[in-house]
Amino acid sequence: MACFERASPSLRKILLKLHRAEKPIEIDHHLHEFGSVEYHIQSSVSDPHHAYLSISTPLLTQGDLLSYGLSHYTMEMIKGISSDVVEIVQPAKEGYQLTLRLDLSKIPRSKDSMKLITKISTVQATILSSQLKEMLWNVNSEGTLHGMYKPIKLVYHLREPFYVIKQPQKITAVFPMRFKEHSDVIIATAFFQELVDVGNSRKWAKVPQCCWAPIPPPELRGEPFEDLSTNGGFVTFDIYPHHIEGKRLDKTVWSLLNFYAYVKYHVKCTKGFIQRRMRKRLESLVEILQKPNLEEDEHTEKVQGNARCMCVGKLVRLPKSKMLKRKCGDFAKKVKKLRFRIKIHGYRRFRQRWLTIPKFSSSMGYTKLD
Amino acid sequence: MANALRLYLACIRNTLDAAMCLQNFPCQEVERHNKPEVELKTSTELLLNPILICRNEAEKCLIETSINSLRISLKVKQADELENILTKKFLRFLSMRAEAFQVLRRKPVQGYDISFLITNYHCEEMQKHKLIDFIVQFMEDIDKEINELKMSMNTRGRLVATEFLKQFV
Repeated sequence: MACFERASPSLRKILLKLHRAEKPIEIDHHLHEFGSVEYHIQSSVSDPHHAYLSISTPLLTQGDLLSYGLSHYTMEMIKGISSDVVEIVQPAKEGYQLTLRLDLSKIPRSKDSMKLITKISTVQATILSSQLKEMLWNVNSEGTLHGMYKPIKLVYHLREPFYVIKQPQKITAVFPMRFKEHSDVIIATAFFQELVDVGNSRKWAKVPQCCWAPIPPPELRGEPFEDLSTNGGFVTFDIYPHHIEGKRLDKTVWSLLNFYAYVKYHVKCTKGFIQRRMRKRLESLVEILQKPNLEEDEHTEKVQGNARCMCVGKLVRLPKSKMLKRKCGDFAKKVKKLRFRIKIHGYRRFRQRWLTIPKFSSSMGYTKLD
Repeated sequence: MANALRLYLACIRNTLDAAMCLQNFPCQEVERHNKPEVELKTSTELLLNPILICRNEAEKCLIETSINSLRISLKVKQADELENILTKKFLRFLSMRAEAFQVLRRKPVQGYDISFLITNYHCEEMQKHKLIDFIVQFMEDIDKEINELKMSMNTRGRLVATEFLKQFV
């Protein structure tokens, strides 16, 4: 549920691939989004103009009442995406709540194709939004108890129910916030305070009024204790008619449904941000401590470097003698290897006199003292 | 405020300067062992009086000295819950990477947020004045970092809140 875009990006990508393919392609993809939403897209070469899209999603339920499939209104809304392209297959594929047959040949080959495919990709958001809208319409706003309007408990994820209270002038959405870790609670509380500040500022007068309190609002009086025990307090949004006029309705419904995910995503990102900052600071702190060592090392290296230079200097000055020595050594070895069968008298003296390795002594060299 | 912090840090610096005259001293209990006496506390004659420097209730520094080692424990100010978790997170992060600092203790002394243990070997390897500079700089940086983190978290929160509410317009 952490997808803040109404359209599923991966579904859109696959549909675009199908649409843009020059030759018919065989596709059988299972997509899982955020653990709870599953898409199955099928397209075969034998039927190139049609693709089948099946969706399984947790449905929005009202309190403890179980939802039995999709309502007529929701079906109408899905058909409304594009009546030419989208056709609902009855019954849906086993394990899925809805199966759609997409007529790919009817998707125009122009810029509008992108818009239409994006619209088809919002099918899960459409289901949820239409469910919430329907629930709000069905609520009898006259039904009051001791002057208070009865709240509707909406469950999308089991652990994250929220309440909607329909009043004649406004709709109030109350989110009991629960977090696993204490640090999450504090980060989220700081966020809620900013949310209240921004929501009540003059600059943002048009946005819904927002309120955060650690205790449940009076509207939720009488609700079960388990639902009202939270560690993150209660966030309340007051939705006025101008927030749900025309196209804004879909946006508002989607934003409310995503509020939990939005807060959790913010908490996660903030933790990541803190971690990054800490890593950076660690490096700078270690640098302070390592500095004296580095300075010392530099000093030592400098001294060693100078010594090395001197050695290199020595090596550079001696190559001629060394080369000559090596060459003579080789020649002497060759001579030594020669075995004369006939012993020539005086040859040894001759060899010592003329064929011995001359000893070169460099004026710059040194003699080892024993 | 800045002046008060400067005085606090100057006091710590001077105390450390006086306290950090460590020398090699073998263990009196176990032969051929050399242990930081400030940790073991086996012989009272090798320990000096601990010094507690307080800026206020929430900010204090304990300097315990012995013949061959010195332990510095710091308590960092935590004005609210956000500062509290930021300080805890940050100091835990540093303690878990104590090997990078050499002088940082993995576990702080009870009642404090972070502790350093400096032995005579550290003083020999790293220069004494550099070690003192590091401790003081560390204290300054922690304060600065916590404040900056808090500010940026609030700024981020405000931006995210604005983005969320924009969707309704």
